[in-house]
Amino acid sequence: MPSELLVELVSRYSPSRHETPAVEYLVAWMQGHDFEAHIDEVGNAFGRRGPANAPHTLMLLGHIDTVPGEIPVRVEDGLLYGRGSVDAKGSLCAFADATALAIIPDGWQVIVVGAVEEEVATSKGAHHIRDQFCPDLCIIGEPSGADRITLGYKGRLLVDFSLTRPLAHTARPEPSVGALGAAFWYEILGWCAAQNEGHTAHFDQIMPHLRSINTESDGFHDTVRLTVGFRLPPHHTPTSVFAEISRFAPSDATLQPSSMEQAYQGDKNNALVRGMLSAIRGQGARPAFVSKTGTSDMNVVGAQWNCPIVAYGPGDSNLDHTPNEHLPLAEYDKAVAVLRYLIERL
Amino acid sequence: MSNNNVECLECGADVRVPGNVMQGEILKCGDCGIELEVTELNPLTIDLAPMEMEDWGE
Repeated sequence: MPSELLVELVSRYSPSRHETPAVEYLVAWMQGHDFEAHIDEVGNAFGRRGPANAPHTLMLLGHIDTVPGEIPVRVEDGLLYGRGSVDAKGSLCAFADATALAIIPDGWQVIVVGAVEEEVATSKGAHHIRDQFCPDLCIIGEPSGADRITLGYKGRLLVDFSLTRPLAHTARPEPSVGALGAAFWYEILGWCAAQNEGHTAHFDQIMPHLRSINTESDGFHDTVRLTVGFRLPPHHTPTSVFAEISRFAPSDATLQPSSMEQAYQGDKNNALVRGMLSAIRGQGARPAFVSKTGTSDMNVVGAQWNCPIVAYGPGDSNLDHTPNEHLPLAEYDKAVAVLRYLIERL
Repeated sequence: MSNNNVECLECGADVRVPGNVMQGEILKCGDCGIELEVTELNPLTIDLAPMEMEDWGE
């Protein structure tokens, strides 16, 4: 039988900023399973097992919102199809199911959060939790696969470039604004290639993406607009990259940075990783580590909490945001067993 | 190989094991650089440390 919590929560379609029915269901479920649970000030589902004044805290920080695109929820051949089954209600439900089943060790509280707005740039739920708690250990709920532990996520930077010049006859020799915008992009490509020399892993490279380039004219002025995205390794901060690439823009161009997230890469030799390795081996599996080229709420809380932190959850992240999103139920059960093993041996 | 050390699974070198070693701890072979995981304390057992992979998302 599939987890009732998993099927019910996936059935409550909850794209970012429309999470309330899913949050209400999860809170009610936790209240019925020996959690102290409520909806917090920003709309997160919050649940706790163990005393609130316990000296040690394990934070299980999942997210309850999904990207848009409703997928009919169904179970076929042991696979649960539905939006969010992988990213990341599978992980969040595994947190809740495992915590409900576990005997919480003395001296510990285990907090399960279904955060809102992870799939949009605000990360409102995680920012709120980050400022309320300072846990000893944290697991971010994202699909790593039941046998793998995610140690890090790359950083991110978006830059909007805009350049407007008086309209000139195309017979004149000056470059058009479109050409100047393209030149800016090629300067960026060259700089990134130079920075990436000697770094073979994608995780260690700056990955630039030209997200859009458009030109327009009002009859008097031409304008070019570009949006450039960067995925950043830990040794490049969003601020430093923005400063470097700003040099390539004409002096009359406008540059606006946004979505600045510092990369985060956790340590392999800490109590949480050791516990997760033992828990995965305890299920008869061989663990592996993974680093992700995307971002998650680990980027939001990692630097401030400065505690052992990993991401973990069942499912294949290659199915994130796809119309074919589905989760093997056997893998879900394995992830619950891993998490329960970990919690009971804190 | 001393009593507190283990033999590297990759190159056979002597790998020093700290006295306060913990289960799940990752050790590094000083000769070949490979990482080893302490999977059991009693008896002291090691395995190749988990592979490091890269993946897309989220």
